[in-house]
Amino acid sequence: MAKKTYDLLFKLLLIGDSGVGKTCLLFRFSDDAFNTTFISTIGIDFKIKTVELGGKKIKLQIWDTAGQERFHTITTSYYRGSMGIMLVYDITNIKTFDNISKWLRNIDEHANEDVEKMILGNKCDMDDKRQVPTARGEAIAREHNIPFLETSAKANINVEKAFMNLAQAILNKTPGRVSEPNINIGTQDTSARRCC
Amino acid sequence: MAGYQQRLKCFEDLLEADVIDLKALRNLCFISGCPHEKSIRSICWKIFLNYIPLEKRKWNDVLQKQRNLYKQYIEEIIILPGKKMKSKESANGELEDHPLNPNPDSEWRETFRDNEMLLQIDKDCRRLCPDLSFFQQATEYPCEVLINSSSSVENLRKRVEQCVLQSETVAKNRLGITLNVVSKKRTHSDEYSVLPDGKEAHWEVVERILFLYAKLNPGLNYVQGMNEILGPIYYTFATDPDQNYREHAEADSFFCFTCLMSEIRDFFIKTLDDSQFGIGSKMNQLMEMLKELDRPLWQRLQDQELRPQFYAFRWITLLLSQEFQLPDVLRIWDSLFADSHRFEFLIYICCAILISVRQDILKNDFPSNMKLVQRVESEIDLRQVLAKARELSST
Ligand SMILES: Nc1nc2c(ncn2[C@@H]2O[C@H](COP(=O)(O)OP(=O)(O)O)[C@@H](O)[C@H]2O)c(=O)[nH]1
Ligand SMILES: [Mg+2]
Repeated sequence: MAKKTYDLLFKLLLIGDSGVGKTCLLFRFSDDAFNTTFISTIGIDFKIKTVELGGKKIKLQIWDTAGQERFHTITTSYYRGSMGIMLVYDITNIKTFDNISKWLRNIDEHANEDVEKMILGNKCDMDDKRQVPTARGEAIAREHNIPFLETSAKANINVEKAFMNLAQAILNKTPGRVSEPNINIGTQDTSARRCC
Repeated sequence: MAGYQQRLKCFEDLLEADVIDLKALRNLCFISGCPHEKSIRSICWKIFLNYIPLEKRKWNDVLQKQRNLYKQYIEEIIILPGKKMKSKESANGELEDHPLNPNPDSEWRETFRDNEMLLQIDKDCRRLCPDLSFFQQATEYPCEVLINSSSSVENLRKRVEQCVLQSETVAKNRLGITLNVVSKKRTHSDEYSVLPDGKEAHWEVVERILFLYAKLNPGLNYVQGMNEILGPIYYTFATDPDQNYREHAEADSFFCFTCLMSEIRDFFIKTLDDSQFGIGSKMNQLMEMLKELDRPLWQRLQDQELRPQFYAFRWITLLLSQEFQLPDVLRIWDSLFADSHRFEFLIYICCAILISVRQDILKNDFPSNMKLVQRVESEIDLRQVLAKARELSST
């Protein structure tokens, strides 16, 4: 019989306007690389990464969504199953920050009430083009009682930390919860091996 | 390759006729795909998409007329408003209106909406087919009126720059920083170097076509993914061996894209998702077909809750253009366009793809299967899949 390769499974979701760097953040986290040339995400994308937290092996199943209004019906259907949501804006584009409240409303409408959230101000490597002061990001996060970080997928700043903090927050309120025993019957899970 | 020469000859014979035998041409193209040589693919696509008629003697007139019409669109939608913007700018130094103005006039509101749309198109076109250098290269046939540096028109490139500058200004104003700080010229990020004045990259041509299309179809606007539909058409026409076709690639692509969109536009409209023609019903159709043809595979997907929204949404909306390398996409589209029920065949291809990876799906867990269906290219042999799809569709 195949041995169990993880203890917990967390489902995370990335949302935010298109172009803020969601796909790059996820790629940085899952493959530790930066690629400037991502095609636009249509519908939904998917990555897996297994991490260790508090002595437990946690499999993170991360959904990356398209930002444009057109895709909301198909993307909001993932809100419900998510245990953590990463809300991303671009510090060099004030509009993407103004839309954070819209995304928060979306979460209220479609996600579980106890979903863990996190706000990320991405592209903090481009300080010369900054349009959103760090203090404003902190303020809105404080107002909604959500953790906040500025990140850069390009310069690899705070990316790992962001995902790990979100996972930790979920872990904190799932004491002793164990994953279903029948998961991972696949014997040749090459993808999981590649990621860990 | 005798077989290839023979096939080429078949195409040439069919295209030589005064009135094209549509059925025979479709049949040939459906089964074997179009050669790129001798403009065969670009002509076939123009015929299949109803851009040019079957009577060959009418081609010149039709093409001439449509290309002139396109010039007119550019004039009305880009040049005239561009001149106005330019003159406003020089009269006031800065645009007096901006998005935070509480009482914007309606013209401004429209301009502002257009700018938002343009910025979205711009983002998506810059990253069109990033693995391929083609779209970053300069076109031989730029739109002269627009790119001439002494021109009195604000072209789309300048408009994008202007928008970005303006939003920086607005942002800095909010921060209480004085205006003159930001008047420095925006430097472009190194990833996407912009060509010098007087030259245009192919992606900029694609951007212009999409902008015009969106302006002419206000009910639809621009939806992400349209760039992926236009890309292969424009590529085919802009790399045509015939110089005359290449020269008019922009106008011809615009109309062929418009024709194609008229058939698939419902996939791009959110409110139609659950209607008879929307993407939802196509995904259902795929699942029904799979259930019929391969019950255990269908059951497996059901059990894992691996829904078609996770992968087939993109497959169908983009006609598989994001799933394969461009040459393979062109080959798939040969068959799609040649099929008289073309988007029925798309569903057969999707079904054939799933069936061709059935062993893996039956064996793997959900995450592995998700990865598999999101990146099928490396797992399948396209020729076999197309053969399978033809077999399924003919029974
Ligand atoms: N400078 C910088 N650029 C970034 C960063 N993250 C993403 N980008 C760029 O922003 C653009 C959009 O990124 P993408 O991940 O596709 O955005 P998405 O639409 O939110 O998925 C791309 O051109 C990236 O190269 C970052 O941290 N710093
Ligand atoms: Mg993306």
